[in-house]
Amino acid sequence: MVLTAFSAAVLIVASCGGETTLAGIVRDPAPDVSQVALPDVASDGEDFATKADPGRLLLVYFGYTNCPDICPTTLADVRRSVADLGSDGEKIDLAMITVDPERDTPERLNAYAQTFFETAHALRTEDPERLTAAADAYGASFEVTLSLDDVIEVAHSAFLYVVDESGHILVQWPFGTSSEDMENDLRLLVEEIGDV
Amino acid sequence: MRRMTVISIAIAILATACSGAGSPEVTDVWARTSANMQEAGAVYMTINGGSNDDSLIGVEVDSTVAARAELHETTMHEGEDGSEMMMMSPLASIAVPAGDDVVFEPGGYHVMLFQLTEPLVTGAEFTLTLDFEKAGNQAVTAEVRDG
Repeated sequence: MVLTAFSAAVLIVASCGGETTLAGIVRDPAPDVSQVALPDVASDGEDFATKADPGRLLLVYFGYTNCPDICPTTLADVRRSVADLGSDGEKIDLAMITVDPERDTPERLNAYAQTFFETAHALRTEDPERLTAAADAYGASFEVTLSLDDVIEVAHSAFLYVVDESGHILVQWPFGTSSEDMENDLRLLVEEIGDV
Repeated sequence: MRRMTVISIAIAILATACSGAGSPEVTDVWARTSANMQEAGAVYMTINGGSNDDSLIGVEVDSTVAARAELHETTMHEGEDGSEMMMMSPLASIAVPAGDDVVFEPGGYHVMLFQLTEPLVTGAEFTLTLDFEKAGNQAVTAEVRDG
């Protein structure tokens, strides 16, 4: 059922003209992440379910603020792609989920995420089981370990996900996706939700 | 004794001149504007290998910019369940072959800055000192660019 709806969505996207295919990875069937809900430190710790508001798209990223290379590169690139979309970009929100809640205090995570999107949701739980369950729903993975000289080392899958209002992953971008490709995909997906 | 010293000095001058002529050339040194509360930074650059094979064996940053700097590489790491993850590892040295370009870029090599003293603001500049095994220290200017 989901598969059919998703195929139909792809067909609609394909009929839009211009660059008609999504540059990112489309999973089939589209994973359902609507059940993922984590405390949003941008809203007093109230649970936020990772699905877009009606008529909008939600970007979801698993990262951490001590990440100097991968996370700021991806978040700065998607910020640029959203800015280049003009008014369509106003339909896009971001939720950042920290995989390093020990060092990412609520204040730090919130301030960091809002650098990239002023209205960002900053999701943080200190319950490892909740965090792992959230990552599993997305197919994301992470490891936080202590090196021999007591340095915290974080490994994480580095996809940025685009989720629709039903809580399904429409497309995901691996690290290294250009802001032009992100812009292309967002433009197609915003057109699609506008057509529904 | 005196002759010995003179010769040593002459050799030293000559050696410096030679390494100066063929030293690695570092260009396009930049760091991304830091996000709010971001404590870690990364610097990227291109190193054009000199006339001899060399290695980058260290990096230092002024304490007014960050507490310390390290050579890092982002690599793919396979988790216990076979999933692919990205992680950073410190490197003791990075080979700079004669005549080759070694590119530091997002997702690959970078100079990691620990505990930024102040936010990195677009347009600001700061100095990094690169330590090459043969060519010695080289100070380069990094420019902060809008991410």
